Amino acid sequence: MENSLYHLNAEQVASGIRNRDFSAVEYISEILERIEKIDVKINAFVTVDNEGAIEKARSIDKRIQRGESIGGLGGVAIGVKDNICTKNLKTTCASRMLEEYVPPYDATVIKKLKENDAIIVGKLNLDEFAMGSTTEFSRFGPTRNPWNINCVAGGSSGGSAASVAALECAISLGSDTGGSVRCPSSFCSVVGLKPTYGCVSRYGLISYSNSLEQIGTIGRTVTDVMLIMNAIAGEDANDQTTRTTVPGTKTTSRGQTPKYSLQNKRNIRVGLVKELVEGADPVVSKCIYSAMDLFVGSDCKCEETSLKSVQYALASYYTIAMAEATSNLSRYDNIRYGFDSNPEEYEWNTYFTKVRSNFGEEVKRRIIIGSYVLSAGYYGKYYLKAQKAREMIKQEIKSLFEKYDVLISPTMPILPFKFGEKIDDPLKMYQIDIDTVVANLAGIPAISIPIGFNDGLPIGMQIMANEMGEQTLFDVASSFESTIDIHGSPKI
Amino acid sequence: MVSRDEIKHLGWLSRLELTDEDLDRYVSQIDEIIRYFDKLDTVSLVGREPASSMKKVSELRKDSIHMFEGDPLEFFKNRKDGFVKGPKMV
Amino acid sequence: MSPNTNICPICSGLPGTLPLLNQRAVDYAGMISIALGCKIPSAVVFYRKNYFYPDLPKNFQITQYNAYGFTSIGVEGKVDYGVKSSKIKRVQLEEDPGRLVYGNTNLETLIDYNRAGVSLVEVVTEPDFSEPKDVRIFLNKIISIIEHLGVCDTRLDGSVRCDANVSIEGGNRVEIKNVGSFRDVEKALRYEITRQKTMSVRDIEIKSETRHWDDARSITKQSRKKEEEEDYRYFPEPDIPTIVLGEDYISSLKTKMPELPHERKTRFLRVYGLSDHVAQVLIDNKELADFFESTVKIYPSSANEIANLIVSDLLGLIDESTKEQRSIFSGLRINAKHIAELARMIDQNVINRNIAKMILSQITKTGEMPSYALDKMDASIIDSKDVISETIESIFKSETSAVKDAKQNPNAANFLLGKVMQLTGGRADPKIALNLIKTKLAVLE
Repeated sequence: MENSLYHLNAEQVASGIRNRDFSAVEYISEILERIEKIDVKINAFVTVDNEGAIEKARSIDKRIQRGESIGGLGGVAIGVKDNICTKNLKTTCASRMLEEYVPPYDATVIKKLKENDAIIVGKLNLDEFAMGSTTEFSRFGPTRNPWNINCVAGGSSGGSAASVAALECAISLGSDTGGSVRCPSSFCSVVGLKPTYGCVSRYGLISYSNSLEQIGTIGRTVTDVMLIMNAIAGEDANDQTTRTTVPGTKTTSRGQTPKYSLQNKRNIRVGLVKELVEGADPVVSKCIYSAMDLFVGSDCKCEETSLKSVQYALASYYTIAMAEATSNLSRYDNIRYGFDSNPEEYEWNTYFTKVRSNFGEEVKRRIIIGSYVLSAGYYGKYYLKAQKAREMIKQEIKSLFEKYDVLISPTMPILPFKFGEKIDDPLKMYQIDIDTVVANLAGIPAISIPIGFNDGLPIGMQIMANEMGEQTLFDVASSFESTIDIHGSPKI
Repeated sequence: MVSRDEIKHLGWLSRLELTDEDLDRYVSQIDEIIRYFDKLDTVSLVGREPASSMKKVSELRKDSIHMFEGDPLEFFKNRKDGFVKGPKMV
Repeated sequence: MSPNTNICPICSGLPGTLPLLNQRAVDYAGMISIALGCKIPSAVVFYRKNYFYPDLPKNFQITQYNAYGFTSIGVEGKVDYGVKSSKIKRVQLEEDPGRLVYGNTNLETLIDYNRAGVSLVEVVTEPDFSEPKDVRIFLNKIISIIEHLGVCDTRLDGSVRCDANVSIEGGNRVEIKNVGSFRDVEKALRYEITRQKTMSVRDIEIKSETRHWDDARSITKQSRKKEEEEDYRYFPEPDIPTIVLGEDYISSLKTKMPELPHERKTRFLRVYGLSDHVAQVLIDNKELADFFESTVKIYPSSANEIANLIVSDLLGLIDESTKEQRSIFSGLRINAKHIAELARMIDQNVINRNIAKMILSQITKTGEMPSYALDKMDASIIDSKDVISETIESIFKSETSAVKDAKQNPNAANFLLGKVMQLTGGRADPKIALNLIKTKLAVLE
């Protein structure tokens, strides 16, 4: 129903509840009903917290009735990727190794959402430990693409993107290590943002690759995505890799965004990364060019540019990511947390080796490769070289941002594909990350926005800005958004 | 060529139980991936060290006590007399 | 302390937690590096050492590693001990693992994470020692330095640990772990050297390995852990940024650092005019040195006397066993005021040193001030010639053979003096008494 409350985006929900157009309980009930009705079809949620959500909604309504002020996200339904710790709410990373784990603490981002009075409706499906690009590696079965349930939703934050696309929540949190927020956002035709590295605390994000990942936000509009990002970003004493200052992006209401110009009124300079467009499916690149044509006016400069070091990007990304992963996953020995199993009478090493066989196939593969690239004899050849390549990419991108305000590419080089198509060929699967890994390696912010469909399957465009350039991203992305103006939700 | 023995040894280093079928399957997949990583061979190791983020000592955590609110023993699922219970050492 | 009460999500290795580097830990590690004469780099990074063990909450340890252009917080230092010295290879900062307790039933291992994540400084020397006793002396010197820096409570159980490495000519290096105390290090080294020499004589190969010190049986034995097969896959810790140190920081550390033992000793010699031996004894135990200086503050006029009282007399009253306790003065009921007063009384010739010694031994039990004890004892110096003469008369009457010997035997006079002191309960002024004895002997001839 078009006039149902679950259609509303976050901005609209927050103001609607604040202005008493509807109550938080009304809204959340509709959301929970929606989840109940359609999640069986797409499998976005691992856990739904009906009780907690209703309780929070009730307390918000009470406070509004008493005339108290509520937080800026008051009442907004948010889904959280199941690798972000929520206190007293099961957090599994879609893995048997955390099957029964209930965190005793909230991730910093969760704390901030709660302070803003957002309502966390549940935990969202992912590839096990965030390792994957399709959410096919989840213990709980894959998440289906709401636009075509025979196709993958993307990954690793498949549940996060699909739930927003399917109107099961207004906003979701995901994590992006090599594209894991942007990829599913593109495949599900929603907006997904990965911030500058160090802007959002990773305290409570269950680590896959510490130097590459950031928590990202997914929503149906660019404004929503930035609003939530502003709420969760900030220096955190619990994460020594966070920056002292973070961009506080100024968002304006939909429709009022100035076209073709940045906040400071200067004209936008756009660089189209040719290596990333050339490597894409012609259907995808055609769509990118069409979007550019619509956007380019006399006030905006747009031209093709080259990022030569892209050739090393995937090798560099996967080497570093797997190296960090192999170490991060060592703590899963089922002694303190995990699944039910009696350690008595086993010998230590035997027990470890036995329980850790409960990792999924892809995770085990990455653990082994990670150990390989760090092992004596190979460390220089792989890990060190990967870090050097990373530095090279960073430098080259930095120099490009002297000429351009934003760099553009497809988010994914291909359309969403059918289940099982790439699952037996790991290397083929890794290669679909080619467009997204660059931003993680360089630590720069990147956003994916929907720009069209082909045969009912979504296509997304990626916009990258320089470090701390979230304002620029917002300006450009929201300009595109109002120009291209994609409407509609999948029929489920 | 990544060898079967290498994978077996890495499995041990990472405490992963690998059956013969696992090893057979992994050898070719991992070899293909590592061969792809060999692209990095043409990257020169000469030059600046990769810069990670920097901090001054004064920006680090102060030596102060923060007690956890709640019972820390609740962190752990296998307990005995206040200790965490694990398998025996040989 | 009860197990697992002093913990938090981070040191328990819970998923999603991140390590946090402690400022003071870096400061202390820096001070130790400076005190051991090390070079300090302009920046430090931390590394992960990956291996599986039940006491590791994350199954990796955050530590430092010297490679790829980075060093640990201190390198290439030197420590003098006595007339010898040892080069320091490196000083590094790392985290402590938890503690293992082996279950009674032998079916399980019990883990306590209370000390997991606590900051640890590891000092590694070059193989500069050729005798086990030198190692012990060196270790005591290190302790003295650490105590003076005030960076570690060395009396706390397990706060200082030592692993030793030994090789003999033609043999491989053997590492000895699990040595409980510094005294045991010397024992362990002696044992291991003998073991290796015996093997060498019999032409048995000495393998490169890690052995454990078995305190109960006083032997080293083969380790159960297959340490040699581990590939630690070190890589830089991504959750902790590069820490910039720099000249300003190092200078600020130096101003924060308290006086080091050798600096203090130099000052003792220069300012108080103490003998080298006495100064060294005071320096070797920071508590003694502190006590000395507190006492001198109260009575500055004779630092030498105070030092002698402490080193010659007080030290002898300290029970060996208390050296392990929090204070070496535990069990002694005196403080600096007592010693200061005693020094004053000697200085002002109220008592002599023998009496002082007697009073000291008494007041350490009672806690009374020396003057009060003196009154009770009536131990004031007898310097009246008449009183002493009387005593001498009675001695001469009873020790006739000694008196006879006195002409040939110069020691006889001392013997007679001894008797006088005995008879006067030690109170006679010995100089006066000896003169009177000699005079009297001369008269007898």
